[in-house]
Amino acid sequence: MRHFVIVGILVIALAVLTYVGLNSAGLMPVPASAQAAPIDWLWDLQVKAMSFLFALIVVPMLYSLLVFRRKKGDTSDAAHVEGNTTLEVVWTVIPLVMVLGMAYIGAQNLGETRRVDPDAMVVNVTGFQWGWSFEYPDYGITSKELYLPVNKQVLLKMTSRDVIHSFWVPEFRVKQDLVPGRVTELRITPTMLGDTYKVRCSEICGTSHAYMENPVIVVEKVAFDAWVSEQQALAAQAGQTPEGRGLALVTANGCRACHSIDGSAGVGPTWFQLAGSEVPLSGGGTVVADDAYLLESILQPQAKIVAGFEAQQMPVYNFTEEQVADIIAYIKTLK
Amino acid sequence: MAHKQDKASMLTQGVFIFVYLAILTVLEFLVAASFNSTAVLIAVAFVKGALVVYYYMHVYKLSADHEGEHDSYEYKSGTNRLGLWLFLISDAFVFGGLLVMRMNLLGLTRPNLNQFLGLAVTSVLLISSFFMNRGETMIAHGDRKGFLNNTLITFLLGLGFLIGVVFVEWRLAAHEGLTPSSGPAGAAFYMMTGMHAFHVLTGLVFLAIVWINGRRGLYDEKHYPVEAAAVYWHFVDVVWIVFYPALYLVGTAIV
Amino acid sequence: MKRKYTVGSGLLFLLVAGVVGYFIGLGIDALIMKNVRWTAPVPSAFSLLFAFTAFFFGVYGYRGITRGLVYQVVWTLIGGFIVTGIRAAMGLSVFGGFFFTEPAWVFGALVGAVAFLFGVGVMDDWVKWARGMDTPDHHEDEPGWEKFLGVSLDHKVIGIQYTVTALFLISVGGTFALIFRTELAASGLQFLNVGMNLFGQNGPQLYNTLMSLHGMIMIVSILLGISGIINYAVPLLVGAHDMAFPRMNAFAYWVSVPAAVLLLMSLVLGGFDTGWTGYPPLSVKAPVGQQMFFLGVFIAGWSSILGALNVIATVVRMRAKGMTAMRMPILVWASVATSIIALTATQLIGLSFQLVMFQRLFGMGFFDPAKGGNPVLFQHLFWFYSHPAVYVFVLPGLGVISELLPVFVRKPLFGYRWVAMSSLGIALVGFLVWAHHMFTSGMNEYLRVPFMYSTLLVAVPTGVKFFSWVATIWGGKIETPTPMLFVLGAIVVFLMGGLSGPPNATVSVDLHLHDTYFIVGHFHDTIFGGFVFPFFAAIYYWFPKATGRRMNEFWGKVHFWLMTPSFLILTFGMMRVGLLGMRRRIADYDPAQGFDTTHLILTIAAFAIALSVLIFLINFFHSIKHGEKAEGNVWNSRSPEWQVPSPMPAHNYETPFEVVGEPYDYGLPGSKYIEFIPAQGGKH
Repeated sequence: MRHFVIVGILVIALAVLTYVGLNSAGLMPVPASAQAAPIDWLWDLQVKAMSFLFALIVVPMLYSLLVFRRKKGDTSDAAHVEGNTTLEVVWTVIPLVMVLGMAYIGAQNLGETRRVDPDAMVVNVTGFQWGWSFEYPDYGITSKELYLPVNKQVLLKMTSRDVIHSFWVPEFRVKQDLVPGRVTELRITPTMLGDTYKVRCSEICGTSHAYMENPVIVVEKVAFDAWVSEQQALAAQAGQTPEGRGLALVTANGCRACHSIDGSAGVGPTWFQLAGSEVPLSGGGTVVADDAYLLESILQPQAKIVAGFEAQQMPVYNFTEEQVADIIAYIKTLK
Repeated sequence: MAHKQDKASMLTQGVFIFVYLAILTVLEFLVAASFNSTAVLIAVAFVKGALVVYYYMHVYKLSADHEGEHDSYEYKSGTNRLGLWLFLISDAFVFGGLLVMRMNLLGLTRPNLNQFLGLAVTSVLLISSFFMNRGETMIAHGDRKGFLNNTLITFLLGLGFLIGVVFVEWRLAAHEGLTPSSGPAGAAFYMMTGMHAFHVLTGLVFLAIVWINGRRGLYDEKHYPVEAAAVYWHFVDVVWIVFYPALYLVGTAIV
Repeated sequence: MKRKYTVGSGLLFLLVAGVVGYFIGLGIDALIMKNVRWTAPVPSAFSLLFAFTAFFFGVYGYRGITRGLVYQVVWTLIGGFIVTGIRAAMGLSVFGGFFFTEPAWVFGALVGAVAFLFGVGVMDDWVKWARGMDTPDHHEDEPGWEKFLGVSLDHKVIGIQYTVTALFLISVGGTFALIFRTELAASGLQFLNVGMNLFGQNGPQLYNTLMSLHGMIMIVSILLGISGIINYAVPLLVGAHDMAFPRMNAFAYWVSVPAAVLLLMSLVLGGFDTGWTGYPPLSVKAPVGQQMFFLGVFIAGWSSILGALNVIATVVRMRAKGMTAMRMPILVWASVATSIIALTATQLIGLSFQLVMFQRLFGMGFFDPAKGGNPVLFQHLFWFYSHPAVYVFVLPGLGVISELLPVFVRKPLFGYRWVAMSSLGIALVGFLVWAHHMFTSGMNEYLRVPFMYSTLLVAVPTGVKFFSWVATIWGGKIETPTPMLFVLGAIVVFLMGGLSGPPNATVSVDLHLHDTYFIVGHFHDTIFGGFVFPFFAAIYYWFPKATGRRMNEFWGKVHFWLMTPSFLILTFGMMRVGLLGMRRRIADYDPAQGFDTTHLILTIAAFAIALSVLIFLINFFHSIKHGEKAEGNVWNSRSPEWQVPSPMPAHNYETPFEVVGEPYDYGLPGSKYIEFIPAQGGKH
């Protein structure tokens, strides 16, 4: 009996200690969305349960190891205890009730993170190898940064252009995959201003998966409106020149994830001083990067492969001839 | 135990089971052609499969008592029988996965296939199972000649099925524009029939082996290998019993 | 063949053939690409294959595994050239960046793998049977270590072959882990940078390949490891003279060798960057290495399926007299539970990978949305195996824990029936939980809550095991030799894995945790607790049975005390950065997240684990010849295999035994588990 009392006290002590210790370490990132609150609440409940169960198993084990260890010279066996059906039923039924309770709470909790605001602002999200593009259909603008007004629910309608990606801003907690060929949805209500958040792709998507991170900026409504007007003005301005339209296309399609514009190495050949230069081809020979070559390389990326880039496969984009001309005009400005 | 029953009654039973199977096949064909109820088609396929599993594959032998030494041929055959069934259960998960794939991609639609040909190859395979059962029953009763003849017929029918699917049906389908890369219907059709045809092919190899060895009298006493080839052959038949409605009958055809 | 072969000559052959192979590959590559490419895939592929084969030639001569590997290499080339020839006749492109085109590689690799089996000789008896010839039931093995490099039908030899192959693959996978762990020690790319080019891959691509291969090679090594334990122990525990199907047993082992070769080939044939899960559409776009990976896993799956089939048949049909279901050793129960899963579910990962292979080869649009396919369908098929697979990995390990605990606490296993049934319970519930890997995948939303319920249910039978273990230890007379230390370590580490599981099961919290390092930490805990620790415990425990010698106790304890704290630090750190936002499978991380210090510690911990495993390996191979003699009942166990002298004779028990009591009745005076049946003259 004495053993059970000591162990009981130790279990409680270790459980409390574990919980306090874990909690003081600051386990989760800052909660920055309305969805984070219920998730953090449930997580905290689970940390409590984990701490208790950890102590419940580890304490009697270590206690036995210290107290019941074999004395020197003792060769006899221990007491013959085969089992105890009551005990087995108890530690089957209590956990069963507990996990069913946990599942019920979990279902409620999931409901809370999915609460729908009918006035949510819609943003169409496109993921691609390797970057993000955010289209605001209400305002007719597209951006590679996700600007969000604080305390306003945003409905992200997401799809992917190539492989599966996953939308995750750790501070917002919730996560959703982007699947090519279908639209998945995610609702987020940012609650904390900030410009250091990043949406980080969390489903492996190829070579530069690690760098598939775009900024997420949460601002006051006023600042958001100002940003929208600014973007609209910029878009209108850029639309008037071929290189402006080309830049917009390049941004929207994430070309610069692979092709640098400053000569640095990347997954694909750099565009810096590309136009008019002599390009070495895989398998020998060179080609002059004139308009015809650039057009072919954009529409049929596998037709001529630049030496050193054999393992990479550029996806095929369905650009029109005018769009390609705009992009080429943009590439020509990179000198 | 099977070989203790008398030969004539076993053969008669085989005939009856075949007649049931034939009636059910005609029934499902008519159901599909008229009011096309998925539930009825599933039920019919289930009954057909159960008939083959019980009477042709004699699944009940698994629970039969095997007295005697662990080293005896009887006992070892029992162990082999269990091993074979475990393999078939495992293999069934492949076909189950293919069915899941087909339901997920196509739902209640199906590829537009030649109905006459479908019924024809199905019949050929069912008839082959009938002869396989006869062959197995005969060798179990020491009738080597009957076994050889029936196994040969089974082999030829199986070959006919394989040719019908791979060389006729695939060509016809491709001619109609249904190719492996044409869409989900083509992908599902070629994958399912292809995987099944691969099993038919291996079944034919086993049949050829037991037929050649049987001619030399290898199975007159110890006939478990014949039973194994037969059970495998029937298993391939059961798979087709499910795949036939899944590909040819359920739902509406898409062009 | 009375030549004296040694490891020394093997290493010499390895070096020479590696260099020769490299230059042959270089020449071929230069002929086709019209360009000398020093770091191209083809020279590396040839170098690898030649070196690997020559090593065994040097050690063992041209027979057994060497002949298998030669067959594999030659037939891979023949198969490749057949397809290449057909393509040339059809006017298609003949050679690609990796020498052969993709279809040629796939066909060649398949033919090569099958050829290996004929070359190594594991098909010999079956071919004879098919030709109507009889073969003897047993083939006598060569004496000494040479029997391990050729086909043997003895379950004990096969068990050791499995175990050593598993240790080899663990070392390979671990080395890969050290490479990318070092890369992760600081943010930014250290040495796997964009400018480098090896095997046709740049740094991040190589990182992805190594990371993906680490996953799958470790999984294969786990499957081989559990097969090793089960193969060695189960026939001994049930009193059988061998497995039910000895030839199939040998086949199941030998088929894993070409599978491992294919997995390693994927590294040099352009690699692949999908992680071990191989999700399409990414896996449809990856280089030809992806196909080698798929094929390797597909073939390794045969090993798992046939091995499982054999275990079930053995346990059902070959038990000793009087061994009723409730008197079977607990490890036998666990092996049956694990085999039920492996027998059935494994087919689905094979099928899902096969479908992607066919999508790549024939343009069949199973998972291609542009052709009406469904990428999420793959995940369902894949996880239908790959979740239960986790229970395949851990159930035998949990069985080892339950089997060894009573021996070292000198008390019966607490609640034998409950522990036995909990294994089956975990196995059965395990079939109904797969979609918890897909809470964020975009599958039908209404599926998420039912799968949360079913997943959390797994905690109940797992809890029964934990409570029963604690109750077994409680009040025992506990000894802590090395195997027991690893058992206790396994319980603690598996507890960490078990406790970090439920948060992933509750959907809303999982939305945060999914695909982060929290998951990485969680499953390393479950796998180490459920497999690695028990695997080491089993090796330390049964080593005297197999060799008649003990492993060194001191170095065993060093191994334990170095590995356990390092490992706990490693997984704690993983979970910590995961919670704070470290994503899975990234070659580099944002320095702004402040993970640099933690990752440096994790890398150091990883190297400490590697060091401890190295100590283990040296201890293992050294003790085979030089360990302390131990031919009796070293652990004073009631289990039948310890009632006969070690090492075990070739056909196990000279006299059959009968079960006359409960397996774990320690502390009950006068009780016996088994009694040998006196020989009545003649054969038994």
